[in-house]
Amino acid sequence: MRQAEDLILRDYIVSAASQLNAGGGTNGFNPSNLGVSDFSLVATTLDTNNAYKFMSGIEGMDRFGTGPVRSAYFMLSSTELQSDFDTLVGSGFLSQWNYPTNASALPSEYGSVYNIRILTSSEAPVARNAAMNNQGVLNDVYYNTVLGKQAITHINQDGYSMNLIYRDPYYSGMLAQNATLAVKFAQAQAITQDTAIRNVLSTRLSNLGV
Amino acid sequence: MAEYSRMAKGSYTVSGGTLGVSAPSAKIINLPFKPDYVELINVTQSITPAQHGIPFAFWDASVTPVTVSNVQYDTIVEVFNATPVLTTDSVRVGGGISTFSAGQMLQFGPTYKHNSVASADFSIALSGAGGPTTVTTATAHGLTSGDVIIFEGLFQTSTTGMPQLNGIPFTVTVLTSTTFTIPWDTSNATFYTAFNTSTSTGNIGAWKQVLYPYLYFPGTSFISGITLGTTTTIDTTDAHNFVVGQEVAFRIPSQWGTVELNSLPNTLSPGSPVYGYVIAVTDYNTVVVNINSSAYTAFNVNQTVASVPGLSYPQIVAVGDVNTGGVQISSGSPLYPSPYTSPIGTTRVSTINGPAIQGAFVNNTSQGFIIGNKASRTDTSSWVGGSNGDIMEWRAYLHDISIP
Repeated sequence: MRQAEDLILRDYIVSAASQLNAGGGTNGFNPSNLGVSDFSLVATTLDTNNAYKFMSGIEGMDRFGTGPVRSAYFMLSSTELQSDFDTLVGSGFLSQWNYPTNASALPSEYGSVYNIRILTSSEAPVARNAAMNNQGVLNDVYYNTVLGKQAITHINQDGYSMNLIYRDPYYSGMLAQNATLAVKFAQAQAITQDTAIRNVLSTRLSNLGV
Repeated sequence: MAEYSRMAKGSYTVSGGTLGVSAPSAKIINLPFKPDYVELINVTQSITPAQHGIPFAFWDASVTPVTVSNVQYDTIVEVFNATPVLTTDSVRVGGGISTFSAGQMLQFGPTYKHNSVASADFSIALSGAGGPTTVTTATAHGLTSGDVIIFEGLFQTSTTGMPQLNGIPFTVTVLTSTTFTIPWDTSNATFYTAFNTSTSTGNIGAWKQVLYPYLYFPGTSFISGITLGTTTTIDTTDAHNFVVGQEVAFRIPSQWGTVELNSLPNTLSPGSPVYGYVIAVTDYNTVVVNINSSAYTAFNVNQTVASVPGLSYPQIVAVGDVNTGGVQISSGSPLYPSPYTSPIGTTRVSTINGPAIQGAFVNNTSQGFIIGNKASRTDTSSWVGGSNGDIMEWRAYLHDISIP
């Protein structure tokens, strides 16, 4: 129900936050696919800028196949990059199911690399066919937003939050009923600390499934 | 079957443009829905037929655009010829009637890819010192000054070409129907190789228009030049949409030189971001900031092709939490003007928003349709948007059923 707000905030961030091009990948595009060095670089940048991390670390436990997780910023990324993240297993990427405990993992959390925990969504911003390599091959450009806790805020204006508007179905035709379902809200977004947010642009290594 | 169909109609008087000479600016019609069919009636040109007049135009989202010489056309128009008798014509995708919706800032127009078909070929010459760089297209590019494009590829070999320009949004200044310039300095032949000249081989590249570059502003702009001094002058690659009083920050990757402008790290006061204020707006892509950069490292626009993988670009960012942008009220100006974009020169295009502090972040998104300002395919002196003073009626529909 809050998807409209999410999309507005998403596009605001795409427009207003500064960008880094990924260069740690191997696919030959600019930006490249995400490599572990890109995660390291952006986390270092945010650390240097004194950004607050969202999540505390997860201490290692005596469980097979698990490993400790660092305190981390969030990265909002596309589900289409999940297969790319899988290629980083063993070189820095820790799948969410390899956390010592999933108690603090979010439902949309795919895993973590160094100081960044990755949340994926099909609604993440992507510019289709916006990059071309020196062979003339096109690739999509993904906006992976990495942010610290103080980076953005969401303001509900006029002292109210979202209202759900629902009118019962009424008879209007032989086979159809007419109803209204809508939401109404007054809100705004703001970047509260521009030094604590970066859009890491990347292309994709893997082919897309259909 | 009309339970969920949406219909709207309206009219307006065209502002700008001269019949057979020039087009008015694109007209945005905001609606509570995104139509799938739009028709236009230019009442004035219907009643007073004259050559190049377009009395009727139609657009249907369900109709597949027709490709002619690698350009797609989807708006059908009726144009008066010299007699004047009505003939049919068309307007390219995005240049005639098109719809738009909030949250889709990353939409592009058709791709003009070198070596796909001859009509899509283009070349880029090295600029003179300081730029701008001139792009020449094989056929009419269809752009208007103020439009924004991006490049892709631009390799000659893996180590030569102009891939440094890739992905940067550039505002174009139209010179002729087949030439335009972009604000970038490619004069140094050590770093830039002219794209697709008569002697070059192996060129790979494309360009495409960014259809809605300013749905959110002010935001992040790429920097094309920095003039150091007691104040600092910043040139951007597309419209910055800043106003006097705007607080700004910089992101200058080290290879571009002027890293002292970066908001962090601050070597004097660790942890305290360095910000500047816009003290003058020269034009759409030039602002003056109150930072004394006399002793700073010179800006370096020359990046090697080899450095392109992973190359990040210098940016100026609206900080947003502090701005004092105001509007001077003079005779005849509205007391509560809506925020505006400035796509080219000092032109101001008002947004649909109500009054707001100039320079504050503007969500300029909406939905509806646009009556574009691109010329018709055959009669290139006719524009669907009409001419100054014309009465234009429009009807927009969103149908329950559309087959297909």
